[in-house]
Amino acid sequence: MSPFHFDGLVWHWPIAIYLFLAGVSAGAISFAILLKHFKLGKDAYKSGFIQAACIIAPLAVFAGLGILVLDLTKPFDFWKILVFYNSTSVMSVGVAVLMIYQLILFAWLICVFKEPVLNWCNGRWPLLIRLLNALVKHEPSITGFLAIFALSLGAYTGFLLSALTTYPMLNNPVLPLLFLISGLSSGAAGTLLGGVLLKGDPDGKEVHFIHNIEIPIILVEMVLLFTFFIGLILSGGQSKIAAMRAIGEGFWGWVFWGGIVVLGLSLPLAFNLFMKASSKRKFSYVAITASCSLIGVLLLRNFILYTGQMTVA
Amino acid sequence: MKNSRRLFLKSACAVVVGASGYTIAKSSTESVEMDGKKYALVHDETKCIGCDACSIACREVNQVPEGVSRLEIEREGPYGEYPEQYFRFTRKSCQQCEDAPCVKVCPTGAAYKDPETGIVSVNSWKCVGCQYCIAACPYQVRFINPVTHAADKCDFCKETRLKEGRLPACVSACPTQALTFGDLKDPDSNLVKVLKTAPNYRSKTELGTRPKVFRIASQEGDITL
Repeated sequence: MSPFHFDGLVWHWPIAIYLFLAGVSAGAISFAILLKHFKLGKDAYKSGFIQAACIIAPLAVFAGLGILVLDLTKPFDFWKILVFYNSTSVMSVGVAVLMIYQLILFAWLICVFKEPVLNWCNGRWPLLIRLLNALVKHEPSITGFLAIFALSLGAYTGFLLSALTTYPMLNNPVLPLLFLISGLSSGAAGTLLGGVLLKGDPDGKEVHFIHNIEIPIILVEMVLLFTFFIGLILSGGQSKIAAMRAIGEGFWGWVFWGGIVVLGLSLPLAFNLFMKASSKRKFSYVAITASCSLIGVLLLRNFILYTGQMTVA
Repeated sequence: MKNSRRLFLKSACAVVVGASGYTIAKSSTESVEMDGKKYALVHDETKCIGCDACSIACREVNQVPEGVSRLEIEREGPYGEYPEQYFRFTRKSCQQCEDAPCVKVCPTGAAYKDPETGIVSVNSWKCVGCQYCIAACPYQVRFINPVTHAADKCDFCKETRLKEGRLPACVSACPTQALTFGDLKDPDSNLVKVLKTAPNYRSKTELGTRPKVFRIASQEGDITL
């Protein structure tokens, strides 16, 4: 069986990249919210890490949606998804979540960068300033809704696949949780990598804060991955065949054990624990750890999408 | 301040959980009873000789482009030694599920169940080609029509032969009368009579799709565990 072409394959790698980007966006903005709320407060916009998260979140979600539209067989008819809704369709609900998410995302970005925007306005455009102040007044509500919609978006990427009864490996209740958690960890990695590239302090309090959350997230991700496959194997029948085909010998088995378990989970966990123990964090440590996490999550999305479609119920 | 934020988060979560729970509960308990017909098909595998007259007629009548097909006869075998050789033939086409996964997942409602005939159909104008239905169909019978770029599949000739008041093309074309088409709700129909007299099975019922293509099992071939 060729790893990228086989019977029953419907969705190809563009969908995996879309799922990855949606997760990165949701994860990055979740960490930006946490950083602002617990560590940085009003001066959040000065931090390279907040800036990175606030650039990554909208760009990733736009790029993901762009890929999704181009992947349709009728790209110019994409507006029909926005006009017609079907409440039983995970995709339809997901589109609604994505639209609202983007709206709230921009409202929140405006709140975070209120001061630089006001300075730039420099007293001009009074209407804009009034609008801005009105938004800022509701910042707590906007933050709350953004957190809820970011988590919904992260989970949606998993529900999209777990709704498919055709494939026993995808039709799995652990998948949405796995995608949510790995999405958060990819968002953290994206924020860290972007932050140090934007001249953020690699030993700053933001990095300490994110690393402290990242360690338990990686551990939970490992537990979820374990539960995911043990659950499939214990279910027997086609589920067991699907699991063994995915993580057994072959191209995707190498991707799983080498790319996801070692490079994407174990190495970042080891680096994080090492950085926690040794006092000083350096640019190269932070950047390499974050890159490993990002590659691991990207591989996980492709691995689940392709191997999931290999076995039919 | 802190309390109001907490209250807000709690109530917002309650609204989200309530709304999604309601949607899911509604969709699972809803069984829309229509006054219309409920068309179904029986494929008698003991009579099928695998001549492909049905699939050729289907392509002709529904103008199905080359490279894709709404109906295929799958051949298994041969079993036994010449001259006592047998094949087993099964029909691969839309199973006309009562609880159709394709209808559930379609984001625009382009995949729908026609209330008058019970036939799962495609509105090719509404279809955007996301291919979610193709992935969701456990029978793997949906495809993208290379001409319309929309999802396509067997609709019991709803737009062609049924409109003219005739039987589906495959049923008329079958030389051994292996196919019986009719209304499940009509107790006097041939379809119901066949279903009541011959033991039959349906494919992948364990997935809860409740298909309306019934099969009378071929007695030939090996027994597999």
